[in-house]
Amino acid sequence: MKLSRHEFLSLAGMGHETLTAWIEEEWLIPRGSAAEMSFSEIDIARARLIRDLKMDLGVNDEGVGVILNLLDQLHGMRRKLMDLREVVRTTPSE
Amino acid sequence: MKDPYEVLGVARTASAEDLQKSYRKLAKKLHPDLNPGDAEAEEKFKEIAGAYDVVGDAEKRKRFDSGEIDAAGAERPRQSYYRDYASSEDNHPYSNNSGFADFMDSEDGFAELLRRSARAQANRRGHDIEYRLPIEFVESIAGTNKRLTLPDGGTLDVTIPPGIVEGQVLRLRGKGAPGSGEGGFGDALIEVEIKADPSFKRQGDDIYLELPITLTEAVLGARISVPTPTGAVTMAVPRSSNTGAVLRLRGKGAPRHAGGYGDQFVKLKVMLPKEPDPELEAFVAGWENGKTYNPREEVAT
Repeated sequence: MKLSRHEFLSLAGMGHETLTAWIEEEWLIPRGSAAEMSFSEIDIARARLIRDLKMDLGVNDEGVGVILNLLDQLHGMRRKLMDLREVVRTTPSE
Repeated sequence: MKDPYEVLGVARTASAEDLQKSYRKLAKKLHPDLNPGDAEAEEKFKEIAGAYDVVGDAEKRKRFDSGEIDAAGAERPRQSYYRDYASSEDNHPYSNNSGFADFMDSEDGFAELLRRSARAQANRRGHDIEYRLPIEFVESIAGTNKRLTLPDGGTLDVTIPPGIVEGQVLRLRGKGAPGSGEGGFGDALIEVEIKADPSFKRQGDDIYLELPITLTEAVLGARISVPTPTGAVTMAVPRSSNTGAVLRLRGKGAPRHAGGYGDQFVKLKVMLPKEPDPELEAFVAGWENGKTYNPREEVAT
């Protein structure tokens, strides 16, 4: 699903200024050009996570960046684990 | 729904600060995105988030304490978490391999496995894409060609084979999403939805049709034209055919798996003229047998 900036803001329930700030921090990375950004479901889910971290869990801005970076590394490793599972499954055992 | 204070593990008299502290402590442990591999985290988190939605808000807490509202329905609805997307695909801008990149550079068997998985990933086959295609009943029996318009504006030509049934899925090889590298395209899976027909009904390979006929055709017999899904055919109605009589048109049903065709069954329904007809009334009034024959012999009294 491809979302415009406007659609993204209404689905994620956030304002223009917040979005600009989060993009500057690289917490969100939209596709497309600065003039015509496009978003997808993963960006909405990520924006909700950032909101939960800041509002619900009381994490400060420095903490949010650290958490996102570690989480993305964790997901990269989970992804790799899944790929490995596939390789192991399709490799005939000797 | 459990008592929100109990869920959050605080006394009813707890201060707002203590409530928040307790909620944050639990949320840090249970937030689904902080536990990507824990399938149950979502349920547990929903419970504490729902509880905090009620008593974490001063106004709502007052109304809950006074019994004005209960905790029912307070569960926080939420469609998805970041974890639902972040691990499942790798072509998003947040993917990050620095947690294991060093493992891939070594010369052992494990590094070889990692490199192989990276190659497999680089040549992954595209996803299958599912579509729904509504067709007319008549088309489902006779077969047809359809053109699907895709969300991206492209089109897909689909040949519907004769005799297709509701829910049957057609697979168009290589018409799905593109893969990466040499992975090739996935397939398009087209689920056929057959619209209900006002006249024809299908049972197995046979087709049923209720067909109105005139009084004259019923009494004297006639050769009449009967619609079938593959076009009209001529059928002989024997003389003295009653309402409810069923005639069979051999081989005019749906194609059979094993070859050949089912039949079409035509149930007759005798219809008087729409307007009262003086000539018919005069004839029937003078028709002696019409006053004595009993069509209700078999109806229990």
